[in-house]
Amino acid sequence: MKRSRADIVREYGPFPEVDAVHGVTFDGRKVWFAAGDHLVSLDPESGRTDRTLTVPAHAGTAFDGRHLYQIAEARIQKIDPESGLVLATIPAPAGGRDSGLAWAEGSLWVGEYRARKIHQIDPDTGAVLRTLETKRFVTGVSWVDSELWHGTWEGDESGLSRIDPGTAEVLEQVDMPAGMVVSGLESNGADLFFCGGATSGKVRAVRRPR
Amino acid sequence: MDSLITAAGRALAAGDPFGALNRVALRNDAPALAIRGIAMAQLGDLARARTLVRAAARAFGPKEPLARARCRVAEAEIAFAARDLAASASGLEAAWQILEAHDDRANAGHARLLDIRRRLLIGEVDAAERALDALDAGDLSPASRTIAALVRGGLAMRRLDAGAARIAFTEAAAAARQARIPTLIAEVDAAGRLLVTPAARLISQGKDRPILLDEVDTLRRTAVLLVDACRSVARQGEAEIALARRPVLFTLLRAMAEAWPLDVPRDALITRAFRGKQADESHRARLRVEIGRLRAVIRPVAEVRSTRRGFTLAVPDGTEVAVLAHPIEEPQAAVLALLSDGEQWSSGALAVALGSSQRTVQRALDGLCTSGKVEAFGRGRARRWMAAPLPGFTTTLLLPALMQDG
Repeated sequence: MKRSRADIVREYGPFPEVDAVHGVTFDGRKVWFAAGDHLVSLDPESGRTDRTLTVPAHAGTAFDGRHLYQIAEARIQKIDPESGLVLATIPAPAGGRDSGLAWAEGSLWVGEYRARKIHQIDPDTGAVLRTLETKRFVTGVSWVDSELWHGTWEGDESGLSRIDPGTAEVLEQVDMPAGMVVSGLESNGADLFFCGGATSGKVRAVRRPR
Repeated sequence: MDSLITAAGRALAAGDPFGALNRVALRNDAPALAIRGIAMAQLGDLARARTLVRAAARAFGPKEPLARARCRVAEAEIAFAARDLAASASGLEAAWQILEAHDDRANAGHARLLDIRRRLLIGEVDAAERALDALDAGDLSPASRTIAALVRGGLAMRRLDAGAARIAFTEAAAAARQARIPTLIAEVDAAGRLLVTPAARLISQGKDRPILLDEVDTLRRTAVLLVDACRSVARQGEAEIALARRPVLFTLLRAMAEAWPLDVPRDALITRAFRGKQADESHRARLRVEIGRLRAVIRPVAEVRSTRRGFTLAVPDGTEVAVLAHPIEEPQAAVLALLSDGEQWSSGALAVALGSSQRTVQRALDGLCTSGKVEAFGRGRARRWMAAPLPGFTTTLLLPALMQDG
């Protein structure tokens, strides 16, 4: 297993009216993050927030190319980013113990925090297709170039883990500095991860290890 | 954190314990147990709350010391609310150190504030005040800031400083509005009403009437020799003579102040100061000695003159004499003052708070119970005591002076 320290490229926030960041995704241009009772978009170049959608947003966030997905309470909402309307709702696989959310290859991937699990589900019905059992508490989940990454946060220890999508074996670990946590995770599709910073109210850009 | 824990935590922070319970009522993982415990505490089921928070502390893993420390502070606060003072102190310092080390300033401040409130309740007023001054309000949550301001207001009331109390209660009201917690807002309102509730009795020239804290404040600035039975001091302007450790002298002074400008017969003084014994020659001799001592002590503010049948106080022209007394005076007043906070107390907790033996407290409680002033619930070790409410009187002032006795 490869192990390294996180290289934090940039910090965004804290932002007014945002007391915590629970989930993070990237739509190709903007970062979206979950802030309790709204979703906020952030321009990663300027560092400014621009749009706010009023939807409950308590955990992971994902983007499928057209729609945003957002966990709230014990359900996953499918949201039109233009209008902010909730188009559909499916039950979350862990019944509200859900943390991170990612979209890849026609499925949603949902982290179950303290159970150390990642569920692959059908985005239309919520049916569980497969469950991976990992070694660490799972926060955010993200796919990049057929690599499956998830955030970890257990008390004083937090970081990013790359796991084998077949066996859930930990292949690589990136440790966050003391006092910094990863509550949500999304890749920019290239060299960076955007990490939610929980009650710090920050979003951090961390370099993807090579 | 997972989705429902976030949602339930937000409900708790907004003062909605039912909203929090709706989300995690059936869950037994560590954070859910902690949230259920805090929600039960907010709803007043302290026994259940303690069990849950303790279970949460055990359920958090060895890598989660911060979460365990927060559970410990919650458990201490619940113990404090249940007036289990010994349990509310244990482990609090260790928890505070972990919170500090993790830079969790809001919770560290909250833990400190809890310790301050406990000290106040057991009569360590000076230590509480010093710790409160050292507390950085900027670190505190609006709810903790509200409590800190209430405590400061309570301290000001004990010093009979109505101006400072009013400022503190105004601050508390602002912080409570920011916290948006209805029960906290109600508590601040109740505290504010203490300022318009009789805080003491004023006995002067044969008249005995209830007075407000503001009037006490005014008295301090007028030409009155105030014999303050709430704190066992004689005060005029800046001059203050403490007699808390000389109860016989204070009793003599008070008797003369109540009668002023008339004198008090020797026999009456002997009866009051020497506990109702028949006056004989040895008592008269002892009275002469004590009067001599009193004369020396109060020389800066008044003179003790002999009259044909006894003694009288003489003060400069234009000065009056008045006695400030507790709203309620009886031997069990200290017990009653503690009980009147509306919480349920065990006799053991009362003994800790008063610094006296459990047997003494038990006797006082039995007496108060017979006269219908307190009520008991439960049996044996689970027995708890509550005061029948005392409408119209704040008993805040009863606490500190009576604490000095122990």
